[in-house]
Amino acid sequence: MTTAAISVDKLNVSFGDSHVVKDLSFEVRPGESYGLVGESGSGKSTVLRVLSGLNHEWSGQVAIEGKSQPKHRGKAFHRAVQMVFQDPYGSLHPKKTVDDALAEPLAIHGIGDAQARIGRALSDVGLPASFRFRFPHQLSGGQRQRVAIARALVLEPPILLLDEPTSALDVSIQAEVLNLLSAIRKERNLTYILVSHDLAVVGHMCERLMVMQFGRCVEEMDVEALAARKPQTAYAQQLLTASEGFRRAG
Amino acid sequence: MTEIRAPMAGEPPLLEVDNLKVDFHTATGIVHAVRGLSFSLGRERLGIVGESGSGKSMTGRAILDLIPHPGVVTADRMAFRGRDLVQMERKERRKLRGRHISMVMQDPKFSLNPVETVGNQIAEAYRIHRKAGGREARERSLAMLEAVQIREPARVYDLYPHEVSGGMGQRVMIAMMLIAEPEILIADEPTSALDVTVQLQILKILDELVSERGMGLIFISHDLHLVQSFCDRVIVMYGGKVMETLPAAELADLSARDRRHPYTRGLLGCLPDLDHPQAKLATLTRDPAWLA
Repeated sequence: MTTAAISVDKLNVSFGDSHVVKDLSFEVRPGESYGLVGESGSGKSTVLRVLSGLNHEWSGQVAIEGKSQPKHRGKAFHRAVQMVFQDPYGSLHPKKTVDDALAEPLAIHGIGDAQARIGRALSDVGLPASFRFRFPHQLSGGQRQRVAIARALVLEPPILLLDEPTSALDVSIQAEVLNLLSAIRKERNLTYILVSHDLAVVGHMCERLMVMQFGRCVEEMDVEALAARKPQTAYAQQLLTASEGFRRAG
Repeated sequence: MTEIRAPMAGEPPLLEVDNLKVDFHTATGIVHAVRGLSFSLGRERLGIVGESGSGKSMTGRAILDLIPHPGVVTADRMAFRGRDLVQMERKERRKLRGRHISMVMQDPKFSLNPVETVGNQIAEAYRIHRKAGGREARERSLAMLEAVQIREPARVYDLYPHEVSGGMGQRVMIAMMLIAEPEILIADEPTSALDVTVQLQILKILDELVSERGMGLIFISHDLHLVQSFCDRVIVMYGGKVMETLPAAELADLSARDRRHPYTRGLLGCLPDLDHPQAKLATLTRDPAWLA
């Protein structure tokens, strides 16, 4: 049996009195794309923040490529796992150029050959080399999200955590960013965890998904079950029906 | 809630807009946010869809005279139930706003007064527009909170905006906009910040207002699926211009898709679809001729 790329066992997260993730366990296979869906407050983003090392208050087991992870992660972890955030307007430093944003992770990890790597990362995400010395305000939302993806990819991690990567973007731009993410995954055999409230996006991007509610796993299913509208639980069914738009009674 | 009387034969539409333009005179030149929009609104759900920058929100604001400096609104005709809005004094426009035409904004977090209880904010709207006393305004507000399906309205009345959830805040906004019983409601992305299940509850409230009270609803959204399932008619906007106006049902009709404007087709095509999985999503090619 191959080692799971990500394995989470009995994860619990509490903020003060509120217990936001409850006994959550799941595994993601190498090269797989795994979706986390649920409504706000379901704990899906918190799971991602724990996995990425941004949240230190948790209990349970988190293992990346077989290695159990401490609360505070080391450099090696960050070379293996990178994250892309929801809001490209908030996740790029407004006073740093694209070049600065991409150079920083390379400097932290003491990786040489920065010039060539930055150039390659930009061309991988389909941005012209002339964008390299632009500031975020000189870019559109879709271009910013491409920069955020380039920043995540510049360390060449095998695992990407995607937190609603397209929900702040127009649908036509969403299509471009999703196509880019699919193409990169195929090319580099990456493992994705994609958090989204949009079932159609998860259906398009993932092979398996977990439906969460109130911090618990309601149901884990593969995408075929989603496309066939055959979830096992009432809540997942309700979510699926609600996502198909408004229905007038009678 | 009182009924708005049924339209009589020959009665003017609730709202007529002809060749509406919104320009912003900036240091770097004139930005044309809306370029010649025309439509009329009856007692129906009219959707305006488009991507960011298409001018859909500016259209809603222009109708209410809420375009900030340096924006300039011009129109060949803009009339509310036959009354000319273009020539009307600002003071008169202000009297219409809230009482006859009102608007629900996207995000309750930024649209409610953070230092006033939600109940008092709703009651204030009623007192101003209906010249009512404090007690009557309170009673009406509680009834209105109940009408938008808030449980325990008496408890919620005394809460501050930060103490209510997003879905509840949005219902508070809707209650506030509807308490004066306007004939036209402009809803600018009223459900985009909400979870799908809450979203459907809000839509149900709006839907009943149109079908039961005969209100005219302008529903501004970027969500094509939602608009096609909720609205009667849809205006598709791009770059400040109308690409096409069509019955909402035709958006969903796959066999009619060839007759659609290429922009509409492009928008529909780039949405991921559970029923028609594709390895690569179609992307939109924009034609400069659309804005000519």
